[in-house]
Amino acid sequence: MAELIDFIIISGILVAVGIYGLVVKRNAIRMLISIEIIANAANLSLVAFSRNLPNAQGQVFALFSIAIAAAEVAVGLGLIIVAYRLYKEIDVAEFRSMRG
Amino acid sequence: MVDLLSTPILVTIILGVVGLAIPVIDAARREKGKDRNKIYSAIAFAALIVAIGIVIYRVFSGEVLPAVAFSSEVLVDDLFGSFFAIALLIVSVMVTASSWNYYKGKTNPAAYYSLILLSTIGMVIIAYSTDFVMLFVAWELMSLPTYALAGFAKRDPISNEAAIKYFMFGALSSALIVFAMGLVYGLTGTTNIGDSIRAMTTLDASLTPVALLAVGLFIAGFGFKMGLVPFHMWLPDAYEGAPTTIGALLAAGTKKAGFAAALRVIVLGMFALNLDWTLTLAIVAIFTMTLGNLGALMQRSVTRILAYSSIAQAGYIMIGIALAPYSDQALSGSLFHIINHAVMKSAAFIAAAGVATAIAGYSLEKYRGLGKRMPITAIALSISLLALAGVPPLNGFWSKLVLFGAGINSGPLVEWGPWLAIAGVLNSALSLGYYAWIMRKMYMEDAPDMSKVKEPRAIVAVLVFAMVFMVGFGIWHAPLLDFASKAVPDLSSAISPVSLGP
Repeated sequence: MAELIDFIIISGILVAVGIYGLVVKRNAIRMLISIEIIANAANLSLVAFSRNLPNAQGQVFALFSIAIAAAEVAVGLGLIIVAYRLYKEIDVAEFRSMRG
Repeated sequence: MVDLLSTPILVTIILGVVGLAIPVIDAARREKGKDRNKIYSAIAFAALIVAIGIVIYRVFSGEVLPAVAFSSEVLVDDLFGSFFAIALLIVSVMVTASSWNYYKGKTNPAAYYSLILLSTIGMVIIAYSTDFVMLFVAWELMSLPTYALAGFAKRDPISNEAAIKYFMFGALSSALIVFAMGLVYGLTGTTNIGDSIRAMTTLDASLTPVALLAVGLFIAGFGFKMGLVPFHMWLPDAYEGAPTTIGALLAAGTKKAGFAAALRVIVLGMFALNLDWTLTLAIVAIFTMTLGNLGALMQRSVTRILAYSSIAQAGYIMIGIALAPYSDQALSGSLFHIINHAVMKSAAFIAAAGVATAIAGYSLEKYRGLGKRMPITAIALSISLLALAGVPPLNGFWSKLVLFGAGINSGPLVEWGPWLAIAGVLNSALSLGYYAWIMRKMYMEDAPDMSKVKEPRAIVAVLVFAMVFMVGFGIWHAPLLDFASKAVPDLSSAISPVSLGP
């Protein structure tokens, strides 16, 4: 049976992957996926902690977090679709109408 | 069971019901008249006025009902929460009222007002929440509508770009916050903020690095919304590109809610861990105000100047947070500056929205001769800029005085305290540079077309209210400062064993 530390290591690796993706990629959808990976790493650690401590608050929190992440993705994809209509692409490096 | 009559829940119900009813009314109405914007603006305005009336009435009557939403441990009705609720509701009232003019003739007003109300609920609940789950849900309830609002001008590439930048950083920040909350939960076994901070004081020494990581992630997560310096790069673009009234909501509302969350979580967490984080926060404060002010000096667009200036103002507020362990007045100074900044900044943004409505432009060149073309807007903008710079006798002066005084007074306890005050004073002088530049454009230079422009009426009303607030509380600042200093002990009483102070 997997120990707590295994879950935490995997969750740490997922955060690292997500941050890497966010820093390196310029495609809006890839960036969205990277953010989702970080959020799900957090959910994994919450559930793992919750199993280790005998109480269910972490799992409840994870459920809330998953539901909210779904709403967040809906808003994000909506914005990306609008961007695609305006620019005909979703490369965030191309979105530069403002220069200060 | 839910106790419907306690302040946070009552405010949630009023704003939530009205916020959800507006789109339903819109769908039910057959003929779409041209008056839609006015009707929904009036409905949202009335709901917000009722909500703020309830909060103020409860504060004055001193009546505190236990806030029970299925559990008595997720929300608390205290003065700290009410203080932020009043500040944030004032911002929403000003935004909604000025949208009467600004949003006239634009698409989909029902969703616009509905999202403002829902976002306001999130901000208010953040200030009242005492549980990580509630805090996170409220945080997202505040953030999600504002992502959509920032991109509300669908055909405008700038608005969309602002929304995408804001969304990416906002979503990252909330992912970091969940991760931090997960770590704290794993360390302490509870999601109640007070309990987990209490448990932190007795944490095993080998686990301190994990707790440090959690505090760091909290600072990063909340810092994105607060616009602290390493996390500020999205902020000018988002505030400039968003519709200007929404810029006011972001700069004055969501930013302040970020401070509410940070005060509830980070500050107390640091006391519990006995960390010497204050120097780090002081450095962040100095960088935040200096970079904000330097950035503002180079801008050509008024909304962008205001966005940079709101970064600088976050730096002033951080002075109080960094000095919290050394001076009693530091946190009350922060709270005082938070409510003042909420009004000053939203007044400045709304004045810019008024100018945009009347002469369609944000660049500094459009502001030439504004003193003659739009006299009330120009005088309100000037007063709010002077208040932001901290010129006596306006309210911004008093809150900066309290903050910098805290820096000087903490001198015997911590040697860099006075330096923080000096940095703050120098930065205020620097900021006067670009504030005065805007005023010079408005009063000393002439536009090619000096015809008088009709000033939008609702915006003028909002600006007059803001002027009364800024000048009134500048002349007679005692009640607001008393309220702020009464709110601070509530923050620490939630976790009684940890005491504030040296």
